[in-house]
Amino acid sequence: MMSATPKKEYPQVLLANRHPDRIATLEEYRSSGGYRALADTLGAGPQDSLKETIAAAVLLGRGGAAFPAGVKLKTVADDAPFPRFLICNADEMEPGTFKDRVLIHADPHQLIEGMALTAYMASAEKGIIFIRPEYESAARILEREVGIAREAGYLGENILDSGFSFDIDVHRSGGRYICGEVTAQINALMGKRPNPAQPPPYPTEKGLWGLPTVVNNVETLCCVPHILRNGADWFQSLALTESGAGTKLYGVSGRVNRPGCFELPIGIPLSEIIEDYAGGMRDGRRFKACLPGGASTGFLPVEHYHIAMDFDSLKSVGNRLGTAAIMVFDETDCLVAATWNLLEFFARESCGWCTPCREGFPYLRDLLWRIENGQGEPEMIGALRELCRDMSYAYCAFSPGGIAPVESLLDLYEEEIVAHIEGKGCPFRKRS
Amino acid sequence: MPTLTIDNRRIEVPEGTKVIEAAEALGIMIPRFCYHRALGSVGACRVCAVKIVDGTRKGVQMSCMLDVEEGMVVSTDDPEAVAMRRHVIEWLMLHHPHDCPVCDEGGHCLLQDMTVSGGHGLRRYLGNKRTHLDQYLGPRIQHEMNRCIQCYRCVRYYREFSGYRDLGVTGIGNRVYFGREREGTLENPFSGNLIDICPTGVFTDKPARYFGRRWDLQRGPSVCIHCSLGCSVTVGARYREVARVEARYAKAVNGHFICDRGRWGFPYTNEASRPRAARVDGEATTVGEACAAARNRLLHVAETAGSEAVACLGSERAGLETLKAVAGICRANGWADPLFWLERRARENVAAAVSLLGDDLVLSLRELEAADCVLVFGADPLGEAPMAALALRQARRQGAPVFVFDPRPVELPLDFHHVPLAIEDLPECIRSLVGAAGDRETARGADPTVRSFTDQLAEPSVPPPPEAVAALRTSRRPAVVCGTDVTDAAAIGLAADFAALMKAQGRRAGLFYLMPGANGFGAALAGTEAASLEELLPRIEGGEIRALVAVEADPLGLYPDRGRIEAAMRKLDLLVVLDYLDTDSAAAADVFLPSTTVFETGGTWINQEGRIQIVRGAHRGGIPVSQTGGGGHPPRVFMEEVPGGQAAASGQTLTRLSPAEVKGASEWVRLPPDTDKQSGTRAVLPDPSALRFAPERTALSGAAGDEAMLTVIAVDRTFGTEVLSSRSPWLSAEETAPTVWMHPEEAGRVPLSDGDLLEIDAGGGSLVLPVKIVENMARRTLVIPRHRDAAWQRLGATRLRIERDCIRKAQPVGENAPVKESPPR
Repeated sequence: MMSATPKKEYPQVLLANRHPDRIATLEEYRSSGGYRALADTLGAGPQDSLKETIAAAVLLGRGGAAFPAGVKLKTVADDAPFPRFLICNADEMEPGTFKDRVLIHADPHQLIEGMALTAYMASAEKGIIFIRPEYESAARILEREVGIAREAGYLGENILDSGFSFDIDVHRSGGRYICGEVTAQINALMGKRPNPAQPPPYPTEKGLWGLPTVVNNVETLCCVPHILRNGADWFQSLALTESGAGTKLYGVSGRVNRPGCFELPIGIPLSEIIEDYAGGMRDGRRFKACLPGGASTGFLPVEHYHIAMDFDSLKSVGNRLGTAAIMVFDETDCLVAATWNLLEFFARESCGWCTPCREGFPYLRDLLWRIENGQGEPEMIGALRELCRDMSYAYCAFSPGGIAPVESLLDLYEEEIVAHIEGKGCPFRKRS
Repeated sequence: MPTLTIDNRRIEVPEGTKVIEAAEALGIMIPRFCYHRALGSVGACRVCAVKIVDGTRKGVQMSCMLDVEEGMVVSTDDPEAVAMRRHVIEWLMLHHPHDCPVCDEGGHCLLQDMTVSGGHGLRRYLGNKRTHLDQYLGPRIQHEMNRCIQCYRCVRYYREFSGYRDLGVTGIGNRVYFGREREGTLENPFSGNLIDICPTGVFTDKPARYFGRRWDLQRGPSVCIHCSLGCSVTVGARYREVARVEARYAKAVNGHFICDRGRWGFPYTNEASRPRAARVDGEATTVGEACAAARNRLLHVAETAGSEAVACLGSERAGLETLKAVAGICRANGWADPLFWLERRARENVAAAVSLLGDDLVLSLRELEAADCVLVFGADPLGEAPMAALALRQARRQGAPVFVFDPRPVELPLDFHHVPLAIEDLPECIRSLVGAAGDRETARGADPTVRSFTDQLAEPSVPPPPEAVAALRTSRRPAVVCGTDVTDAAAIGLAADFAALMKAQGRRAGLFYLMPGANGFGAALAGTEAASLEELLPRIEGGEIRALVAVEADPLGLYPDRGRIEAAMRKLDLLVVLDYLDTDSAAAADVFLPSTTVFETGGTWINQEGRIQIVRGAHRGGIPVSQTGGGGHPPRVFMEEVPGGQAAASGQTLTRLSPAEVKGASEWVRLPPDTDKQSGTRAVLPDPSALRFAPERTALSGAAGDEAMLTVIAVDRTFGTEVLSSRSPWLSAEETAPTVWMHPEEAGRVPLSDGDLLEIDAGGGSLVLPVKIVENMARRTLVIPRHRDAAWQRLGATRLRIERDCIRKAQPVGENAPVKESPPR
C-alpha cells in the first residue's frame, strides 16, 4: 500500500527549532520569533481579546481530551479569587505517547512563553510544571531554562516591565498514570492521594488549594505563543481539514521502519504519516490496525487506513485522536495479546477509587490472558462485553479509556478471539 | 422543592437532595457501600446505580452523586441498573473471602445482605484471590483486610470526619490497603465507630469476637452513662453477660457515632468482683434479710438519735428513679435533706447551669455542629464529654472558628485557638467578651435587665482576644460551651448571660453546658435545696448524723479528702450501701445491698441539655455464665434460679428498706404527654430568664494574679477517670499514666524537669506525682487527673488554691522510683 505521490513538506511550527542532538537555546528561540508574543501582548491589550483569539483558533487540548483551551480560559470568572494557578501537565504517561518529552527537549522556552502568556490571560501568578519522574532530564532542562528565562526578565516579578508577575516551579510527580488526570493531579500537588474528583466544582473555579486553576498540556501551551503572534486564522489554516486547526505532534511506534515524533498538520491522512514519515511498514508487512491516539483509544482497522487524522474524523468512526500516539500493528500481530498487554498497564495503574475500574481491569486481563493462553471458553466473549458495558459507569474517564481497545477488539476482531478459543491457544504464536 | 418520580411514586424533596436520599424518603433502600449519611456521597463503590429515565443526564447513573431535578424520572429496578449493581457485587466478591461462618460480621454484614439479595451466588472469575496481611490495631479492634471492599468509609470517617491521621490508604489498583503505617493501637478515641461504619468485617469488635451472632444476642436500645451527653447505644448481651455496645442513631444527640469510652466502658457490669449478694456485717445473706436488717437499724437510729440523724446520699451516675427514691425516702421518714453531691462546688455549679439553661438558649449536640463560631469556657471536651469534641470538629469543618478558654493543655481533633488562662480569670475573660463582642446599643434596646447589666460591666482588666472578638462580630449562630467541672458559678452564669445577650442582638445564639455524671442534670432537679456531703460532714463529725445510706454513690472512694471522710465514716453507727460496684464504700458498709445496672433495669437519664431519655434493660442480668459455667461450652449447668439474680434496682430496694412508706415523688420532673422515649424530650423547667443578667456577675472578681498562690485542679480525662469506664480492661491501655501537668515557667521555679517527681502538700495530705511539662496550659496552675493511681483524694478538694511553698521536688524512693532511662543501644 505505498502511496504514489511524493512526500510533501509541511510547515514546522512547534518543532521549528528542533535539533537532533541538543536543545534550542534562548537565543535560538528568540531569533525564531520567540518571546515576541510575550513582549507584544503583556500589558498591551485587554486579556479578553487574547482569550478570544485562542478561542477563535479552536485550539483543542492536546493532552487527549480535546477540550477547547479558549473555553477553558473563559471559565475562569473575572471576579474569581486570587491567587490563581496555572499547571502545565507534563505527566505524559499514556502508553505510546512521547510528544511532550520531544517538545521540552527541543525547545523549552516555547513552553515557558506559552505558560507565561496563558498565565497572563488567566491572571495566574504561579505556574507549576507537573512532570513525570521518568522525565528527569526534561525536568532538569526546564529547571535550568526557567532560571535563564527569569534572568532574561521573561519570568518573575514585573515581567518585561508590564506589571505582570509570574513564576514557574517544576514539580516531579510521584509517578502514576492517574496523576495525569487533571483533578487527580491537583490532589497530588496538595499532598493528597491522586484520586480524581468529579466536577463540579471545576478546577478553573476551585482547583489547587480551592483556588482557580488552569491545567493545560505541554503541547497546548506550546501552541499559544504562535497563535497570539500569527493569529487565529493562520492557526486554522495550518490544518488540512475544515474542522481542524493547527499542527499536531504525531508519535508513531510499532511495525514501521522509522518510528518517531513528527509535526504534521491536523487532518493529514494516516497513510501519509505511516508511509512518508514513518518509513512505511516494516519487512514488507501489511497494515492491520493501529491505536490512533494512545492506549485509551480503540483499534483503527485497515479500512480507515486513509482517514484524516483529526478530532472529528476519528470521532465519526467511533474512535478518538487522543494524544495522536499511533501504535501500528501488522498482520502477524495478535490483537488479543496486544490488548491483554494494554490491560496489564490499566490494571496496574487504576487508582483503586471506584469498583468497576479497580476490579474490572484485572478481571478483563484475566479473561484475555486465558483466551490468549488456551483456556478460553465461548462464554468469555459475553463476559467481556458485559464487563465493558458496566465498566463504562466508572467514576472518571480512566475506565472508559481503558476499555476502548477491548471494545474495539470485540467489535472488529471477534473472529480472532473465537479462533483463540476454538484453537485452544493463540493462532499467531503457532504459526511463528 | 423539586418533585420527582422514583419507581412510579412521586415525591417532593428539598433542592440539593441526592436521588439516593429521595428514594430513602420513599422507603426505597437503594444498595450502598460508600455512601453514608454522616459521610456523604463520593461515588466510589458504584453499587447505587439506577436508571434515569428522564432528566438532564439519562441512563445508568449513580444515585448518590446525582442531585434531584424537577420532573426527573428514576427507575431503581431497570434491568440495566440491576445488571450494573449485580456486576458491582460480583467485582466486590472477587477477592472477598468466603469466611462468613467464622466472620464476626456475619449476620449484620451489608456485603452479605447485598450479595444474597443481589443474587450473586456463583463465582465466575477463575483467577486467584488477592490477599493482604492484617495489622495489630490494638486490643479493641480486629483487622481483617482480606474482607475489604474498598468503600473508603473507614478512612473518610477516620481522617475527615473525626480528624485523626494514623489510619489511611496505601497502594493503588486492587492492591489498595487500609491500615496504619505500622502496627499499633489506633490513636483515635472514636476509633470504635470503624466497626459500625465498615460495611463488612474488616474492623470487628475484638473483645466481642466469637461470642455470638447478632441474632444470638439479647439486644436493646440503651443510653450511654459514661458522661453527661447521653448518647444512644444498642446493647447486646448473651449468657448473662453484656457482650458489646454499638452506636445507635440519635438525630439530636450523637448522630451515628459514639466514643470509645462509651463503647467499651461496660465491663463493670460483667466483673467477677461485682458484688452480687447482700451482706450484713460482712456476712452474705439474702436481700430480704438485709433489707430487714437495714430497716430495723435505721429505725433504731431514728428512734434513739432522731430522724434527722439519718442521711441518704445519691449520685449523678444514678438514674432518675433512684434519685427520686432517695428524695422520697428522706421525705417519707423525715430524714436529713437528700444529698446528691459530694462537693458543694459541684452542687452549686450544676444547679446554676440547670437553672440558666432555658429552652430559648439550649443547644443539642447536633445543633452545636451547626454553630458558626464556638466559644468554649472552662471545659476540656475530649476529656469530659468526648463526643462534644467530635461535634466541635464538625462545626470547624463547616468553617466555624473554635476558641477554648481553659487552663488545661486541651487537645482537640481540630484547629482551634486555645487561650490557656488561669481558671480564676475565666469569669473576667467572659465578662470582657460580653462587653466587647456585643453591639451594646442593640442589646440595650432589647431589655432593661440587659441594659443595666451591660452598663454596669466593669472595664475588663484583660483585653479580650482580638480574633475571638472579630469572629463574634460576624457570627450569626454563635455557640457558648461551658464546663461545670473546673469552673465556678460565676463563670457558668456569665456564659448564660453571654449567650442570652447575643440572642438579644438577634442572633441564633445557643448555650451548651457539660455536666458531671450521666444524670447531673437530674440530680440538680432532684431538689435544689439538697445539700452536698461536704456541707453535711460537720454534722457527721459532730455526731448529729448517725447513719448514712449511700445509693450508687461512693463517698469513701471519691470524696476529695480521703482522711477526713474515713474519720467521718468511722463515726457513723450505720453505713448502708446500695450499689452494683465493689467500691470502697461498699466494702466498708454495715449493710450492703446489690443493685442493678442500666443494662439490666434501664432507667431514666437527663443529659446535660435537659433531654429526658428513658430506656429499658437489655437483659435479665445475673452472674455471667462464663463465671458460673465452669468453662464448658455450651453451658450445661442448669439451675432454677439465676445466679446473682437477687439484685434489684436501687429505687425498689430503697422502698423495701424504708421504715415509712415511700410515695411516688414525681413532682419535680414532668414528662410532656407526647414524650418520644426513643429520642428523648427536654425536661420542663421553671423559666430561667429571671436568673440571667444578675447584677452581682458584673463586678470584677480579681481573684487571680496572686503570684504566691497556685491553683490545683483535679480533672476528667477521656480514659481512666470516669468511675464506670475506668474499670474496663480494654480501655486501660489508653490511660495515660497519671502525672501533674505544669507550665514550663512554673516548673522552672521549683525547679523541675519533665519526669521529675513533685510532692504536693494539700488540704487532705500530700501526694507525689511525676511532672509533665507542657507549654499549652495556664501558669500558676497544676492539673491532676482524677485517676485511681493519682491519690487525688488527698487534695482536699477538686479545685483548690495552695501556697507556692506547698510544692517541692521529691526524691524517688523504693519501688516507686521511676525507671531510669537506659542508654540508647
